[in-house]
Amino acid sequence: MATEEVRQEILKALDDGVVEYEEDQVKEAAQRALDEGLNAYDAVMNGLAAGMEKVGKLYDQQEYFVPELLMCADALYIGLDILKPHINTEDLGDKPKGQVVIGTVQGDVHDIGKNIIKLMFEVAGFTVHDLGRDVPLEKFVEEQLRTDSDIVALSAMMTTTMMGMKKVIEMIKEKNPNVAIMLGGAPVTKDTADLFGADGYAETAGNAVQEAIKMISQLRKMQG
Amino acid sequence: MTEMTPKERITKLFKKEPIDTMPVFSGQGMVTIQAIEKMGIRFAQVHTSAEYLAQSAMVTAEMFDFDAVIIPYDLCNIPEALGRGVSLYDGAEGILYPTVPHKWDKIEDVQIPEDFLSKGRLPMIDEAFRKLKAESEDGKFAVGAYVLGPFTMAGQIYELDLLLKGLRKDRERVLAFLGQMTDLVIKAAKHYEALGADYISIREMGSGSDLLSPRMWKDMIKPNLARIFDALNCPTVNHICGSTDLIIEMMNECGADAISVDHKNTAAESRKKLGDDVLLFGNFDPYGLLVQGDVSNVEPVIKKCIDDGVDAVWPGCDLWPDVKKENVDAYVQTIRTCGKQASPAVGRI
Repeated sequence: MATEEVRQEILKALDDGVVEYEEDQVKEAAQRALDEGLNAYDAVMNGLAAGMEKVGKLYDQQEYFVPELLMCADALYIGLDILKPHINTEDLGDKPKGQVVIGTVQGDVHDIGKNIIKLMFEVAGFTVHDLGRDVPLEKFVEEQLRTDSDIVALSAMMTTTMMGMKKVIEMIKEKNPNVAIMLGGAPVTKDTADLFGADGYAETAGNAVQEAIKMISQLRKMQG
Repeated sequence: MTEMTPKERITKLFKKEPIDTMPVFSGQGMVTIQAIEKMGIRFAQVHTSAEYLAQSAMVTAEMFDFDAVIIPYDLCNIPEALGRGVSLYDGAEGILYPTVPHKWDKIEDVQIPEDFLSKGRLPMIDEAFRKLKAESEDGKFAVGAYVLGPFTMAGQIYELDLLLKGLRKDRERVLAFLGQMTDLVIKAAKHYEALGADYISIREMGSGSDLLSPRMWKDMIKPNLARIFDALNCPTVNHICGSTDLIIEMMNECGADAISVDHKNTAAESRKKLGDDVLLFGNFDPYGLLVQGDVSNVEPVIKKCIDDGVDAVWPGCDLWPDVKKENVDAYVQTIRTCGKQASPAVGRI
């Protein structure tokens, strides 16, 4: 088992590596976490996710923009790929570890926001069924029914494709009213989400990151 | 007061010469479902026929008393001509704009054929353009064109996340790629200029401060836009949607005849920063106002644009075709009424 000092050192390297989008540093620190016997879930939540929380603040302060967000997300993915196979299910305890269906609706080929949200779900321990982009509406319904997922997350970058979301929500809620629907994308407002009967929304990739980070932050607090 | 033809009105506006009233026009698509339905066709059909394209633009302009027509309506025609394909969603329910199905994922794979202007739907669009020019000989409307800006065009043919990361990680190669895109945009825009476009909007849509830092914009976007506006002789518009407050002065330095911004811009502040001599167009949300909004909201929103100091009230994006007729009527009527007064850069006769 790693000493507390070593643990802190590794967590800081993971955290800094994500913030500074230093992929090699994250890779080395993630491997070291495993070598030193650190709890993989601890490393993900208090190293990688803690770094991404800072990235969210930097974006909010307009110090970071989308290119930096994407590079930070890449660094996070590298660490997650190494650590995730070593997370024990008992580490997740009673915390959310459900399934989510995610995709960008038909007519929309923008998937940056969707991919970042997907990453955040993965960090939180969800099993993610990614349908990709330009996804026919009925595919969301089919995949939710097939996987019995708890959440369906829909993304639309363009106003012109946003209306598709309303149809998906209606179709899913008709079959299974308990499914939580999250909407994201530039044209989506709280009013639209309410109007469409969605359970949550995020306006932009950056806002989606903020929303997802809030979700992770809550998890970290619950864990602490 | 002497009544001008729509074309005269727009031509003089770009020259900052006195006009009779503010023209109703845009640098983005302005086709409506009312026109499509009147023609007895579906939206998906309009993108593939010169006749439908030209007619839908004219029927819309006549139906709503617009001063200009502008084609095409989708952003995929050049990517398609470069071999990236197009998804028209012919069978989909409702209105979906075409998208590009196959983007390159390696910059080195990008190939720009010398004769790309003769490929895909581009010759068909030329034909539609000629029809519109022929129909507007008497000045009954101005004929506008638009081309995507180099960064937005790059994102249409190359994976956007790779492009965005490449701006930081692979700077020199991405800069060279953007230079290549700039050459492409100039070639396309000069082609529309030669076809007689009365104005051309360069839509660098994806480069606002929602995505890129102002420093990156100055470094990697601005020089290419400046090169494009320097190459064109017809009236030009530099359009960017999303957050533009931080880059508005740099937008002006690119050398276009006018600047167009969407509702995320604080137009009154932009006017102060730019002074009264710069043509500023904008800046209402066409979907929120003309599709979703109540008709009673239209007049105050359009008036606010004028009060904030725009020289022409432009929608921040394409009109979403499924507009409410009464809202568009109110939008046009408000401009006709309130636009009789001089705007900051353009006087009235």
